[in-house]
Amino acid sequence: MTTATFDMPVGAQKSFGTAGVAVALLLPIALVNAIGFILPVLNLARMSFNEALPGGGIAEALTAANWTGLLHDSFYIELITNSIVVSLGITLATLLVSYPIALYLHRASGAWRTFLTVLVISPLLTSAVVRTYGWIALLAEQGPVANVIASMGFQPPRMMFNTTGVVIGLTEILMPYMILSLMAGFGRLDPKVEEAARTLGATPFRTFWRVILPLTLPGIALGCLLCFVLAISSFITPKLMGGGRVFLLATEIYDQAIVTLNWPLAATLSMLVLIIFGAALAVYSRILRMIEG
Amino acid sequence: MMHQTIKRDGVETIGDPYLCLEGMNKKYGLVEVISNLNLAVRKGELIALLGPSGCGKTTTLRMIAGLIAPTAGRITVGGRDVTQIAPHGRDMGLVFQSYALFPHMTVAKNVAFGLEMRGLSRADIANKVAKALGMVQLEHLAERKPRELSGGQQQRVALARALVIEPSILLLDEPLSNLDAKLRDEMRTQIRDIQQQLGITTVFVTHDQVEALSMCDRIVVMKGGLIEQVGTPHEIYERPATPFVASFVGRTNRVKGKRTADGCIRIGSSMIRSARPAVQDDVMVMVRPHRIHIDWNAASTEQQGETANRMAAVLSRITFVGDVIQYHFDVGGSEFIVEESTKKSQVSRDQGDKAVLSWSVEDTLVFGADQ
Repeated sequence: MTTATFDMPVGAQKSFGTAGVAVALLLPIALVNAIGFILPVLNLARMSFNEALPGGGIAEALTAANWTGLLHDSFYIELITNSIVVSLGITLATLLVSYPIALYLHRASGAWRTFLTVLVISPLLTSAVVRTYGWIALLAEQGPVANVIASMGFQPPRMMFNTTGVVIGLTEILMPYMILSLMAGFGRLDPKVEEAARTLGATPFRTFWRVILPLTLPGIALGCLLCFVLAISSFITPKLMGGGRVFLLATEIYDQAIVTLNWPLAATLSMLVLIIFGAALAVYSRILRMIEG
Repeated sequence: MMHQTIKRDGVETIGDPYLCLEGMNKKYGLVEVISNLNLAVRKGELIALLGPSGCGKTTTLRMIAGLIAPTAGRITVGGRDVTQIAPHGRDMGLVFQSYALFPHMTVAKNVAFGLEMRGLSRADIANKVAKALGMVQLEHLAERKPRELSGGQQQRVALARALVIEPSILLLDEPLSNLDAKLRDEMRTQIRDIQQQLGITTVFVTHDQVEALSMCDRIVVMKGGLIEQVGTPHEIYERPATPFVASFVGRTNRVKGKRTADGCIRIGSSMIRSARPAVQDDVMVMVRPHRIHIDWNAASTEQQGETANRMAAVLSRITFVGDVIQYHFDVGGSEFIVEESTKKSQVSRDQGDKAVLSWSVEDTLVFGADQ
């Protein structure tokens, strides 16, 4: 008499086991992402084709009016270009002030490095609202910065409730992100390689230009991507430091959604921000391929 | 016409002092890593800085390259004081232990870098790069990136990059330590050949005594920031100036002895002689393992000649290493290792076998016990 056995082959059982564990581990985050991100984004995309009724009503429709309206309204064209230009400016300013700090941190060692790294990260422990109010106090018309400029005999420029204020505030707020991204991307920078350049006859300036800068490009690209994305989607600082006079995509989305109650237009602008993110990511991966290639 | 060392004004010929270090000193805080180092490297010679890690050899090399500023002292190259000159103005080629190739440049671009810094024309650069890569047999890899090369190939790129600028001095910082044993032997020969072909004055830092002995014209043995001895490989090996040199370069047996009234040295109950007289009452006697002859059949140590030392010994252990066999003997309480070349028909020996060890008086190195 034969007894049937229902055991699975050992190998199959094992691979099923690992795959099962992987699925079990990934399922929660996949669900959270699907419910908390993908579904709302799809909903937003759908809403951008709806029709807005006066007084905040939404009419189910399938119209491209919101999209075409954006592209034909000079206010929105300017808003979009302005947002991109200001965000690029903030990214560049953040890069310029963060690069030397990141390079110094990369070369520092031991307790000194730990201390400085903590110092760089510590602003992240404070909310952006608090830091923005700090900047408002510093840059206000009779504030300390204006007083210092005035005491040197110059007419202090307006630094508050205009684009200058937004750029200054966001640059400082984004610096920790830029410094951390730069440091993460400085892995290929070996001090021995700089020394090799020096012994081969390169001046410090040419060593920087030909060796240090090219080797830190991956970090620069990463930091710029992150800061650009954070700058163009930031809302609190432009709202507070712009004083209602600086119009950027994020502030406009807020106004359309909360003040004007035109949700379809807010959804369209949100989708536009997502498209800009996608474009930035595409540019980033292209640059990265160029550097690595 | 016997010597070709006719010195013309400003032109050094082979053999003249070229790179001179005078009173070099380097302190990190209160720690002195180099103390009063004086060294004259001759034009065209390959000199090794040999010593254990932390002896100051790499610090010395980096001071020559200008990557570390000395606390005190002077460095001259062909009479020109370069102590205060920045590394990019020193005209020295440095090959790093880790090669330090530019990872973002091709092999050809790496080699061209120094020439571009010197503002050569595009055609000249292409020409010289091709020649330099030819010298290290890497023409076919010119367009590769360093990460696509093996360790040995990267090493040769680093060498070509340092040599293509035709530096006044070539500095090699443990260039072979990251290669496997077989490749290391090949590169040793190749570096020595290129160095002699170009007649370039070269300073070679190594902790490997075999490298120093086999490649270099002269060796500087360093320990604790001080020079222990400078000499040819033969001098360093045969006439070590200090017990440290004797034990660091080549293997050696060490045994304590006492000086007697007639100038001999007493070890246990045996009396031995050395070519150099002992300078202290308590001495350290050293003998190279392969310079000792084993007489398995000798009845006694009586036939003490003028030229040989003889001591009775008991075999305690045998180690078979392949090309040599090591016999560990007990000689009056001290261990003596004797090496013999292996033969196919080796007579097997047993622990406890008695023998008489003999070696030449010439091969007996004597140092003060506290040296």
